[in-house]
Amino acid sequence: MIAAETASQSSFVLLQIGARRFALPAVIVAELAPPVRLHTFPHTSPSVAGVIVRRRRIVPVYDAGPLLVGKSSSGQQFYLIARREFGDAGELGAILVSGECEMATGEMRPESDRRAYVAGMLTVGEESIDVLDLEALLASASTEARS
Amino acid sequence: MSVSTTPDREHDVISRHLRRPEAVILFWVANQMFAIAADAVQEIRSTDSLAGAANEIEHSELPKVRHILQRGRRTCYVVNAGMHFGLPITRPALVLILRQMRAAVLVDRIDRMTEIAAVYPLPHAFTGEERRWYRGLAYVDDSVIPVVQPAGFLTAQEFAQLDRAAGGGGSQREMQGAVQA
Repeated sequence: MIAAETASQSSFVLLQIGARRFALPAVIVAELAPPVRLHTFPHTSPSVAGVIVRRRRIVPVYDAGPLLVGKSSSGQQFYLIARREFGDAGELGAILVSGECEMATGEMRPESDRRAYVAGMLTVGEESIDVLDLEALLASASTEARS
Repeated sequence: MSVSTTPDREHDVISRHLRRPEAVILFWVANQMFAIAADAVQEIRSTDSLAGAANEIEHSELPKVRHILQRGRRTCYVVNAGMHFGLPITRPALVLILRQMRAAVLVDRIDRMTEIAAVYPLPHAFTGEERRWYRGLAYVDDSVIPVVQPAGFLTAQEFAQLDRAAGGGGSQREMQGAVQA
């Protein structure tokens, strides 16, 4: 994998959720963490699966599976850790992914997608991959879970 | 981006965090461990020992509160912690009577009293009722557990509902659980 400093707007991290691959802009991705223990406790926040402990921090874990592939992520999971903004505060958040991630470079094509959480499309080889807008994705996941 | 292929040494990582030690009581409800500040608990009693001291609320609008407990001049509403947190139904064996509050809490069992190094803020990702339930998170025995907010078991509105159901009419200050015993 390439260090974050070398990432640019045209660098993406390809992640697998269920049987599908998606992309996230590399600039917001901090780390791919191994399948450490997921700590769970009662809460009412939609799409939050629990927390992991990573590098002195308690990191919330999101399950985007129900929204993206129609079912919760299961089996051995890795955690793709990305930066989120909450007003003036930043926070790391982890997305459950099914396997190792890959780096890819390319130009994202704008996509007139009806799904707000798809920022565009990336072509890797012969595959067209949705590039996710993380903030929109988690907002959509929350809305869907509440409806 | 960095990629790790070996698990973090979680305990080492957490132990380097800024320490503000605090005595807590660890308790269990439906296989979930929680912590509560030791100085927030006035008494721990078995449910059997309080059988004669608790009165049923006949028309409680809150399923999680079915009984009133009289402790001296203070009337406490007894909250079923499992129902409060949305956990599976259990048979609570103990009551935590909270200090300076008009609430007591039914729990399954006490694990032990211990000291935690710090209470870590609840991440912003948590946006639901847990922001009222918990003061934050703690790291105990290689597990992350919630540290409950004693005042979070009943809201002012719930106190008002219960006062109506119980035929009482505590002052606003009492409703917020801030009275002295």
